Amino acid sequence: MGTHQIILIALFVYLGSIGSIVGNTIGWYTLGRPLIASFVVGVILGDVQTAMMVGIPLQIMYMGNVTPGGAVAWDLSYATYIGTAGAIVFGKGMGATEIIGLAVVFAGIGGLVGQIMWNVSYALNLPLNRVASRYAEAGATKKMFIPNVVLGQLIGFVCRFVPAIIVLTSITAASAQGDFAKIIPAWITTALGIFGGMMASLGMGIILSFLLKKKYHIVIFLVGFIFITYFNLSTMAAAVIAVIIAILYYVIVNSATITKKGVA
Amino acid sequence: MGKKISEKTLRKSFWNWFFWHGCSQQAETMLGMSFAQAMSPVIDELYDSKADKAAALKRHITLFNTEQQVGSICNGIVCGLEEANANGKCTPELISSVKVALIGPTSAIGDSLWVATIIPILLTICLSISQASPAVSWLGPIVYLIVYPIGTCILSWNLFKLGYRSGIEGMQGLMSTGKLDTLTDTMTILGLIVVGALTASFVTAVIPFKIVKDIYDATQGKTLTGQTIFDANNMVNTIFPKMIPLLLTLGVYYLYSKKKWSPLRLMGLILVVACVFTAVGYLTGYYK
Repeated sequence: MGTHQIILIALFVYLGSIGSIVGNTIGWYTLGRPLIASFVVGVILGDVQTAMMVGIPLQIMYMGNVTPGGAVAWDLSYATYIGTAGAIVFGKGMGATEIIGLAVVFAGIGGLVGQIMWNVSYALNLPLNRVASRYAEAGATKKMFIPNVVLGQLIGFVCRFVPAIIVLTSITAASAQGDFAKIIPAWITTALGIFGGMMASLGMGIILSFLLKKKYHIVIFLVGFIFITYFNLSTMAAAVIAVIIAILYYVIVNSATITKKGVA
Repeated sequence: MGKKISEKTLRKSFWNWFFWHGCSQQAETMLGMSFAQAMSPVIDELYDSKADKAAALKRHITLFNTEQQVGSICNGIVCGLEEANANGKCTPELISSVKVALIGPTSAIGDSLWVATIIPILLTICLSISQASPAVSWLGPIVYLIVYPIGTCILSWNLFKLGYRSGIEGMQGLMSTGKLDTLTDTMTILGLIVVGALTASFVTAVIPFKIVKDIYDATQGKTLTGQTIFDANNMVNTIFPKMIPLLLTLGVYYLYSKKKWSPLRLMGLILVVACVFTAVGYLTGYYK
């Protein structure tokens, strides 16, 4: 990775983190999602094909990484930007499953750094309350952006951008040490491939915990599963059928409640 | 004549919230500072004296938290209350207590309906688009990049205006019609089918165990090398295709949801299982 590529990726790591200057809608929930993050890395590094190849499994793996009740599992933007960049740089000449396995490992490292930095920024933001209450005391409505945006983002930027630069530079330096497709023994790449394939179950399992609200819901999940295994549909076709079923359900339930009200 | 917040100021307040709601998040007041910043144009317009402005700012830098995108309805409601207060029809105490009361329900709706349901569903649909063909894999992220921020922004702004116009009654009305429940159920069905399909196509796990032997074929009088006598994976798949990935996913669901394992701990478990499977695979000659 060249210097400008490292800076650009680190900038997106910051923008995609929780509470960046573009807001969580554009930042955390859009630029921070692995599907989008890997696409951005692919554009920056000029290899969208490989980036999307690792981006899709990373997205599945981290599908459950939303922040219910403000509990942050691990900082996603760190995980995926660094995971994808690491996989593209190190994975030259490797097969698809091995590159995905590499991405999973790099994402884990990135996520760990991200989690630490999130906690650091969370603590560093505390004194800002004193600044804010001083301005509030003075009734300075025009200055309320200073503690929130200016100081808050100064801390946020330093906590995200600087560590990302360090991690990405070390990855670049390490990747120059040799041809990793040849150095890494076969059993490690096999294990990485197996690990990557199994990690998808983590994202799906966590998402299920949000969606399975009643006991019989498991049957609906199996319908989707069987679409693929028995009927050999593509995921897109399954999604289209899912939309049709959902619309039918909505219409039927709605008309049923109307008739009930009509009778009563 | 009564005071009224102009449309321009409302817009300004909303944009302040939309972009900078999470800028100074911390454990003491959570989103308090960003809420106060979002309210400051409104406060500036409604109150004339420095003392009134200071009092209003001070009640808004206190603890506040919500799911920020759906939670913009709180900002709308509080704008309405501040306007009533400036006209002497509401009290500061009431504003503060309403704000605190809004934290729970708006976080719950935002987290369960928007963050945990809409986002994963939209992502899975975009994933399917990307997965359909490697040549158009860029299309999925592009669709998400356009649909999600714009859709959420429109929703957020409308909730904000709803909150401002109809206040707390408007929110109760939204929650009591039962439409929200039906919508959630519909989304759940859509999500479950898509997640089922994704599980089947993306989770891979095999039992790396087969017995390969050279057999002596008596009828032809020669030795056949490398014949597979037993393949655990094949056997399982003839009973129910992709049974192992399914069981693995349901196992993770069980540990996460019922046994309250953390994602990091689950990751560790999966790593250990993957290593064990690799070792078994090499020992039995499944991988070479």
